[in-house]
Amino acid sequence: MRFSIIKTIFQKELKEVLRDRRMIYLIILLPFFLYPALFYLIGKVGQNQQKQMSEESVQVLLNPDAEQTAVYEIVKNTAGFDLSLRNFDQSELDVLKNTIGIQVTADYNQQIAQNGTAQIEIFANQSNDLLKKRQNLIIQQLETINQQILLQRLDSAGLEQSFIQPLNIKKTDLASTKVRLGKAIGSYLPMMLLLFIFMGAIYIAIDITAGEKERRTLQTLFTTPSRVGEIIAGKFLAVLAVALTSAFMNLSSLVVAILLQAKLMGGNISKFAIDVSPTGWVWLILLIVLSAILLAAMSLAVVLLANSYKEAQSYVSPLMMLVLIPAILVQMPGMELNMTTACIPILNICLAMGAIFKGTFSIGAMALTVVFLAVYSAIALYFASLVFRNENVITGEKVNFKQLFAN
Amino acid sequence: MQQEPMIQAKGLTKLFGDFRAVHDLSFEVMPGEIFGLLGPNGAGKTTTLRMLSGLLQPTKGESFIAGHSMKNNQIAARQELGFLTGDMDLYRRLNPRELLTYFGRLYEVPEKTLEEAVDRLINEFGITDFENRFCEKLSTGQKQRVSIARTLVHDPKVVILDEPTTGLDIMASEFILQFIKKIAKEDGKCVIFSTHHLDEVERLCDRIAIIHQGQLQQIGSIQEVQQSARQERLADAFFSLVA
Repeated sequence: MRFSIIKTIFQKELKEVLRDRRMIYLIILLPFFLYPALFYLIGKVGQNQQKQMSEESVQVLLNPDAEQTAVYEIVKNTAGFDLSLRNFDQSELDVLKNTIGIQVTADYNQQIAQNGTAQIEIFANQSNDLLKKRQNLIIQQLETINQQILLQRLDSAGLEQSFIQPLNIKKTDLASTKVRLGKAIGSYLPMMLLLFIFMGAIYIAIDITAGEKERRTLQTLFTTPSRVGEIIAGKFLAVLAVALTSAFMNLSSLVVAILLQAKLMGGNISKFAIDVSPTGWVWLILLIVLSAILLAAMSLAVVLLANSYKEAQSYVSPLMMLVLIPAILVQMPGMELNMTTACIPILNICLAMGAIFKGTFSIGAMALTVVFLAVYSAIALYFASLVFRNENVITGEKVNFKQLFAN
Repeated sequence: MQQEPMIQAKGLTKLFGDFRAVHDLSFEVMPGEIFGLLGPNGAGKTTTLRMLSGLLQPTKGESFIAGHSMKNNQIAARQELGFLTGDMDLYRRLNPRELLTYFGRLYEVPEKTLEEAVDRLINEFGITDFENRFCEKLSTGQKQRVSIARTLVHDPKVVILDEPTTGLDIMASEFILQFIKKIAKEDGKCVIFSTHHLDEVERLCDRIAIIHQGQLQQIGSIQEVQQSARQERLADAFFSLVA
């Protein structure tokens, strides 16, 4: 392997990528503006929705028997309700927009006075966020009244509150804030990170393989005295560089957007601080680099099989599934990094990163993850080299998979 | 002193599954010679040239470029080879100067020599006016000039051209033909090219080979081929051999 040839190919690929406006937009500009814009937009839409919901009036149909009850007082005195005292049936509520129906039994006051149970039935469409929210508001106030009546009854019977509460169960969370935050971050951040690396890798991989085939420039390279290994290395390093840049840009932008959003909403930024030990950072960087190597090699090997940009793009979705499914599996209960999960590609990356964020990683499992990642990366690169060595691939003919492995 | 052949094809055979694209093809081309490879579509011309350039591995047989085996010493063989097809394009976002420098480096031409070679080729091929323009912005004729310059940037002893004039207008075609004549007759390079245009062959070739269904039908000078086919015109000889 001649380093000068690898460097020449690497520099040329990067030069072409940096001159491609679409690629620059995808790798640098999009992440730079996307997240802040997205977070701002989501925040703004959310705020507007909340405001709209709080201002919108909801009609409440209450049967006339309830006029002398606490239910009537609650609905009447709470803002945002438009009270109608009349009988109704359930089918009527299906037709009426933004309407809640409350049915109170005629003997409400009698039941309360005689230490009985008064029946209150609330009808509301639970798929309507506004009605669901307002129904909860009514229930919340009724619960307060319920509690007050209960205390009065206990008092008149000469009983303490402990009479109806023989057990007082308290939960104490032993997980530190770091672990809790780490678990939350560790569930999503690795998936996002893998997605960013993949997105960065796949488009340049397509451009410098299938794209070159389509543009009829790949054959020229293979008539030069460059060895296949040198061509792979040069192209692979270019894909890797772009993948890492893309991941870095996306991640930085995401973190900045989260912090900005927290600041805008008046939150405490320090709550979002990721507390990772120096050893954890070393493992994290190693994992990111190895993930990028694995995904770059995978992307390169697969998209090279395509003869055109369009065909290569049809390989993107299955490849993305291959990345996303193990990353989603991390959310499953009981998923932890151990000697078994450390052997499963992608899943091991996500679990290992999660363990780093939680601060619960063990050196053994981390080392095993790194070793397996290195092995899988080597396999992916070997497959890429098999593909590159196949003359049908280079000349744009139909690829014979038997022949691919026979060579 | 007897010259060594620059291209040697020894029993070249290529199978694609059950399909025999080229069968037992042997010939030699000497330095300074222009050798034309003729045949109808699907005759095996491109497959033969791809085997000679090392893009395809022969199923049987072997080829040599400037004495180096394409099978056992591919790097040295390719170092002496310039390959151009009408089917090859240029890198869109490199300008001609960058493209020539890139390929020169891949052939490990020393930097100073490369700089001089690039300057010379840019002048010689009239690229100066557009040397800083991205290749995607060039006209077909301009691209062809850059492609030829790319083929010669490492000063190869052998130049293989696969249908180099396909899709070009008369001016661009004429430029290529003049180029072929110059590099063979003035620079002493060995040139092998495939074409469908018999008039180009008559103008340029010292010797020709006609292949049909992957097999060599006839080889020799134009006169020898005509005599052998008992025809007075090359076109008639060609039709009688491939009919």
